[in-house]
Amino acid sequence: MAIQVKVLERPIRQTSYVRAMLKGMAITFKHLANPHKVTWQYPEQKWDLSPRWRGTHRMLTDENGKSKCVACGLCPQICPANCIKLVPGEDEEGNRYPLVYEIDEFRCIFCGYCQEVCPEEAIHVGRHYENSEYSRAGFVYDLERLTAQTHPVCEMWDPADPRGE
Amino acid sequence: MADAQQVSLTIEGRTVSVPAGTSILEAAKVAGVLIPHYCYHPGLPVAGVCRMCLVEVEKAPKLAPACATAAAEGQVVHLYSDPALDARKAVLEFLLLNHPLDCPICDQAGECELQDYVYREGRAQGRSHEPKRFNPAEDFGGDVLYVTNRCILCTRCVRFMQDVANDPVLNVSERGDRAVIGKFEGKDLTHPWAANVIDLCPVGALVSKDFLNKSRAWELDRTPSVCPNCTQGCNTILETRDNVVVRMRPRTNTDVNHYYLCDEGRMDYRWMNRTDRIEAPLVRHGDRLVVSGWDDALRAAALHLNGKRAFVLASPMLSNESLWMLSRLAKRSGGGGGFRVRLGTEAPLAGVPDLVRRAERAANVRAAELFGFARSDTPLAGMKDGDVLIVADHEMAAADASAIAKASAVIVIGTTMPELVTNAIIALPSTNVAEEDGTFTNLRGRVQQYRQARSAPGMSRPVWWSVGDLLTFLGERAGYYLASEAFAALAAQHPEFAGMTYDSLGLKGQALAGAVAGVAGGASA
Repeated sequence: MAIQVKVLERPIRQTSYVRAMLKGMAITFKHLANPHKVTWQYPEQKWDLSPRWRGTHRMLTDENGKSKCVACGLCPQICPANCIKLVPGEDEEGNRYPLVYEIDEFRCIFCGYCQEVCPEEAIHVGRHYENSEYSRAGFVYDLERLTAQTHPVCEMWDPADPRGE
Repeated sequence: MADAQQVSLTIEGRTVSVPAGTSILEAAKVAGVLIPHYCYHPGLPVAGVCRMCLVEVEKAPKLAPACATAAAEGQVVHLYSDPALDARKAVLEFLLLNHPLDCPICDQAGECELQDYVYREGRAQGRSHEPKRFNPAEDFGGDVLYVTNRCILCTRCVRFMQDVANDPVLNVSERGDRAVIGKFEGKDLTHPWAANVIDLCPVGALVSKDFLNKSRAWELDRTPSVCPNCTQGCNTILETRDNVVVRMRPRTNTDVNHYYLCDEGRMDYRWMNRTDRIEAPLVRHGDRLVVSGWDDALRAAALHLNGKRAFVLASPMLSNESLWMLSRLAKRSGGGGGFRVRLGTEAPLAGVPDLVRRAERAANVRAAELFGFARSDTPLAGMKDGDVLIVADHEMAAADASAIAKASAVIVIGTTMPELVTNAIIALPSTNVAEEDGTFTNLRGRVQQYRQARSAPGMSRPVWWSVGDLLTFLGERAGYYLASEAFAALAAQHPEFAGMTYDSLGLKGQALAGAVAGVAGGASA
């Protein structure tokens, strides 16, 4: 027994695609000419980040180009994601410094606690968002890579807006 | 002290009764109140120089130093009244005039009394505008580094060297705000117990060169243990970081080592982290030792032992449980056992009775002798031709090589493969003192418990476990799941250990029945 399908007879002005297509093309041409664009032409055109943006880390250096870190161990302690690995040691002058300092940016939740807790203002979260890598291992930034970063760093609080309003 | 006159006083609302002559500070400890202090230490003479323990005693004209004031009948002591809090706040402010705020690079951070008390009761902001005094750090010799700037001049180290070690090396040089701890001309902190000043120092002024910059205090896992490096049996805390032993410190036990640990014992922890270990049971196939499972290896060992005399070369570093199990293995076949002890120099700590770094550099000589192992310089002399030799973690000497050849077979139970044993048919991996629970018996017959501080490598097991299973394969009931069960079985068979359990031993230990009463760990009251 064949299924009975009810077919509605509609007038041509409802079933024709010509009118709908013209309507769509009108929107397209209107946007071509419209100066009020919202699309960003990335990567030629880049986004202006907030001064409080928290992105991938950067280790600041002193005037001799050495990292300012003294391996006090506060950032691995405070890190809620447990993504910082730190092994303290001594350099040639007997100063405390990190033998191993690694941040797993994949595991990082970018809370910025490490920057906030750092007594030497050494580790910072950066105003930076282009982090693609070909491998997972590439997201483990060692000390050399962290000090080699050049992007601006996060201002935990904005001097122009001290209350964060 | 039972006949001494008792006085009762009230400290922070808690009434305690203590023997007359006890200081308020000690009485407060009984009441469960910690009075902040720096210069006072129960093992040292009272100095009263830090002024940190000032407390308010009702009806007294002014604040009293709790460490130097005797508790008296009816005293009412206030620790958190406004005058006492103000006094402590002022003392802390004075200390911080010159104490640098270098906690991020200071090894003491996290276990520093100055840090703790300032955090709790100090000023949030300093008021001083003057620059802080600066002096370079000085190497005091031995393991001790003196970071002059951090010193708060409590003089605990000076008093330790003077009154406990009886080797006055340290003094307070200069006066007033220039005062620092100095060494006498031409002297160094080379006394064999000198490194105790590192533990005594309440701040980071005296730090260990060995531990310098290795780890932060809050990253360490702490385990109660017993120093295995001589027969004294000092109580220790093993501190591990990421499963690696990084420091050994004394644990207070006034029956054995008081608050102290000798330098050699303190430094001798690296072997616990050795990585060249036997990690799996090995069985000889042809000319090679092949990795095997526990059951196969034990079954093979049982086949070799069946009907043969076993001669056990047992390390005096093994636990009571392990030595007992090995002695059972030797006795059931009519065999024997022996061991050799490495000897060193004796070094007493003059100010503490019966606390000596003993010449015998092994923890459990007493128990090894108790369980019938013969102490000798040629321990293999008692072995007969055709015996099965069991080498249980024992150090081998070149002189043993000829005796080894007499054995019909050699079975190694140990942490590492002894170099001189080339013809072992079976090797069973065992754990070291940091990797197992167990007990040692010190030279005065005090049985003391130690706990596992790091995980054992590979398939290794405590000796009592593998030998117990081996005995089970040989038809004896000897399988135990816990060290405490093995110890309970041992206590049931040996009258000296009668009534002892891991619970009754606690962390301070108990003396063997019939042990000679001695101050260091023998039968205590």
